[in-house]
Amino acid sequence: MIETNIQSAVNISPKSSLNGEYALKAHNLDVYYSSFQAVKNVKLKFPRNRITALIGPSGCGKSTVLRSFNRMNDLISSARVEGAVHFRGKNIYDENVDPVEVRRRIGMVFQKPNPFPKSVYENVAWGARINGYEGDMDGLVEGSLRQAALWDEVKDKLHQSGLSLSGGQQQRLCIARAIAVKPEIILMDEPASALDPIATLRIEELIQTLKEKYTIVIVTHNMQQAARASDFTAFFNVDENRTGYLVEYGLTTGIFTNPEHELTEQYITGRFG
Amino acid sequence: MNKEKNVYPEGEALGAQIESRHRRGLIWRALFQLSTVVGIIALTALLYNIINQAFGLTAVQNAVEPEALVLAYEEARMLGASNTVSSEDDRALLEGIAGDANAVGFFGYAYYQANADRLKTLAVDGVEPTAETAASGEYPLSRPLFLYTAPATMEENPQVAAFVNYYLTHVDEVIEDVGYFPGDAAALEEARVDWLEANGYAPSNRLPEVDPAAYDGQITITGSSTVFPLTQRIAEMFKIDGFPGEILVESTGSTAGLRRFCVDADIDIANASRAIRSQEFEACRAVDRQPLEIYVGTDALTIVTASNNEFVEDISLAELRHAFTDATTWADVNESWPAEPIVRYIPGADSGTLDFFSETVFPVALADLPKDVLVSMLAANISTGVGRRLEREQRFYQDALVFESPEKYVEVCAAEDAPEGCTRPPREQEDVYRLVVERVVQPEVQQTWSLVDSVFNQAEVLAEAQAEHPNARMEFRSWLSSDFVVSPQSDDPELAGVRTALLGSLWVIAITILFSFPIGVGAAIYLEEYANDNRINRFIQTNINNLAGVPSIIYGMLGLAIFVRLLESITSGAILAGGDAVGTTANGRTILSAGLTLGLLILPIIIINAQEAIRAVPSSLRQASYGLGATKWQTIWSHVLPNALPGILTGTILAMSRAIGETAPLVVVGASTFITVDPEGPFSKFTTLPIQIYQWTSRPQDEFRNIAAAAIIVLLILLLTLNASAVFLRNRFSKRLT
Repeated sequence: MIETNIQSAVNISPKSSLNGEYALKAHNLDVYYSSFQAVKNVKLKFPRNRITALIGPSGCGKSTVLRSFNRMNDLISSARVEGAVHFRGKNIYDENVDPVEVRRRIGMVFQKPNPFPKSVYENVAWGARINGYEGDMDGLVEGSLRQAALWDEVKDKLHQSGLSLSGGQQQRLCIARAIAVKPEIILMDEPASALDPIATLRIEELIQTLKEKYTIVIVTHNMQQAARASDFTAFFNVDENRTGYLVEYGLTTGIFTNPEHELTEQYITGRFG
Repeated sequence: MNKEKNVYPEGEALGAQIESRHRRGLIWRALFQLSTVVGIIALTALLYNIINQAFGLTAVQNAVEPEALVLAYEEARMLGASNTVSSEDDRALLEGIAGDANAVGFFGYAYYQANADRLKTLAVDGVEPTAETAASGEYPLSRPLFLYTAPATMEENPQVAAFVNYYLTHVDEVIEDVGYFPGDAAALEEARVDWLEANGYAPSNRLPEVDPAAYDGQITITGSSTVFPLTQRIAEMFKIDGFPGEILVESTGSTAGLRRFCVDADIDIANASRAIRSQEFEACRAVDRQPLEIYVGTDALTIVTASNNEFVEDISLAELRHAFTDATTWADVNESWPAEPIVRYIPGADSGTLDFFSETVFPVALADLPKDVLVSMLAANISTGVGRRLEREQRFYQDALVFESPEKYVEVCAAEDAPEGCTRPPREQEDVYRLVVERVVQPEVQQTWSLVDSVFNQAEVLAEAQAEHPNARMEFRSWLSSDFVVSPQSDDPELAGVRTALLGSLWVIAITILFSFPIGVGAAIYLEEYANDNRINRFIQTNINNLAGVPSIIYGMLGLAIFVRLLESITSGAILAGGDAVGTTANGRTILSAGLTLGLLILPIIIINAQEAIRAVPSSLRQASYGLGATKWQTIWSHVLPNALPGILTGTILAMSRAIGETAPLVVVGASTFITVDPEGPFSKFTTLPIQIYQWTSRPQDEFRNIAAAAIIVLLILLLTLNASAVFLRNRFSKRLT
């Protein structure tokens, strides 16, 4: 079962070699919630135009790590991040970096589809508008919806509420909304976990097409999804203090076929987690 | 112990256990239902009380009957017509008519009969006056004859009671001999029953036998010249049958007789050839003489000419109208008659015969009288001062003045602040009629009954009204009417309205909302989105929560100290008026002060509710917004506020409802107790609906309670309307969001 999945992952990403170009690098990242350390010492480099999956058991801090890549943790008043995340040659946690700009360039798709209670069109256009987009808005909306493989389904109901779409459509709308502001990186926090298998598959297919333009980091609970859809995989685990740490990071094919750590093997074979 | 024993109940025990759990639920359900029922009962009782007061029967009595006004006008017209001779002395009239072939007049049938050789009677509308036509009512001028006395008078003077009894017993024997027609049997029977009741007999009894010899004393009778011969005849018989006392019978006319009976109260019986009028009735009651109407027979008023008149045989009612008013020759009345000057002989103004004649021949309603007649009625019955005021509001005539000399009026109109009456078109007839009704007829509510009594105890209500206000007409009155809503405050509960209070409430609530909504929502946004969780902010939060529970009177005192006193120069509008005295008559006790005070009062409610609503906006929305690179303000403005708005509006509705109903703080801030001027802006004096209701309920007269109930309904409707519009707004926002 797992064998075949690994095989398919290899097939989907044949050029799975590193060319030395990274979109995002995390150095010794520690995240605390008040005095509780949620994640310790994460070192990760995300190759450009590749899909990297973050996997690991519940509570291992993979979502926390993901959210620290575009400073979403700032919204939690008790959260504190130490270490560095390098993006475009700068540490996004430097004092002179505005988190608004970071989020503008590093978009995010959340676990539960959360379209704005506005029309489909507005959902896509709003982000562009507040970020000062001055081009052809209709074209941008159409282009983004096409990229998100949603255009054909919603082109006749652009002015209906985004909430009237199905769950899978809503999530693709959220993806369209994220890519409308032309980010470099899209962070996805279990984007398919609230969806049925068919909608999940469509999201996965969509992610594959998106990597041509964007660097994608995806958190997932679903091992098959990670194996199917990602080029690289990072496996996290929790220590006895409930602090998450990175166990292993490498090519997805490597992680799933020949893990270096015993823990990784146990996890991907379903023996814990 | 048996360790294998089931830990969970099984079998029947399980059923019983589940049953008992259901039972506990049912008990709670019953309790909740009970509380709902209690609430509904309380609400129903409240509404019942209000509606019961706001509608119901009223006994309305006019100060002057409209018919009396018409009658006075028509009689004046007859008395003022050319070639008219008027006298209380029938003999003088007889001599005049009999001596002139062109003369016309009218008498009671008896007097005509006594002089039938010298007079000719005319058919009216083709009907000759005979016993048959009079009794059947076919003859248009047939009329009842009455005696008026009072139970109290009869009790005091038994000889009067005996005489009336004797009268009723024997009238039919002599009436035709005197020259009148026997009365309708049923009406006579009714008169007998009235006598029996008034003298304490059971109504089924026949009249007791009278022995005139058994009584003594004096009986004085005055009134109608028509009834006079009949009464005199019976008085003679009474004496012949042995009455040792004295009977004085005088002929002065019905009106004079009733005046003496009711006003002077120095006679025992009044003869009348017409029914008593309501003013006379009330005058009698005022001297403790509840008039007892005794019907004794029927007369046919005969229209007579000299016996040598050869051209008139039959005259219609329409022709009679002309013949006694505007015609100067007979030809004016009817072309086939000669163009000889018409000479009229009519009884004097105190005569019931004249009253009856003009009532019957000129059946005009007050509303149909021409404008100039109504104007002169008004002029005759109101003070010049009131007249001038009315004329300044709007003239009666385009180019003539009623209450002022033309010079004075020109002067007034030339003044800088010329009254509206100078420019507006003159009043219409309907308008003058309305004024006559309002100022002269003056219908006044004597007593009111609740809706429930009016509907379910109608018989009792009517009986009570009959006893207490026999002359009043019963009207079903809705105290809540369009007039009530648009009329200003007044001392007279029937004219008072809620216009001033309603406008005051609307102004105050507008200022309240304008003040507290932005500030409240702003504070809520700050506290929820920006404020750090530190000691100061927690202190502020706690205080806001506590302020929501402070008694409203405290806010009133705060408003008095701050807005009315300290900031008087602002709240009185003096600052805007450049510091002079203009607009400062209210001394800070203005709509602005009231609005700001109520604004303070509801501020905590709005803040707390807005905070709740903002907190309820899902964080996923905020995250989505931030994730797209939105700033904090963009997130708040585009997502947090629109999503919180329905909740904020709900809180605002609650707060507004509270503000509309507030009374205590406004009393302290200085709402006007009596104000009839519409508020013109934030610097006007004011009153509000709750204040108005509060004041009306503390008045002693019943009618004020009725209008207070009506005002409560207005307040409820206002509340519902404002709430409905707020709910409508809220639903529109909610719809836009989904």
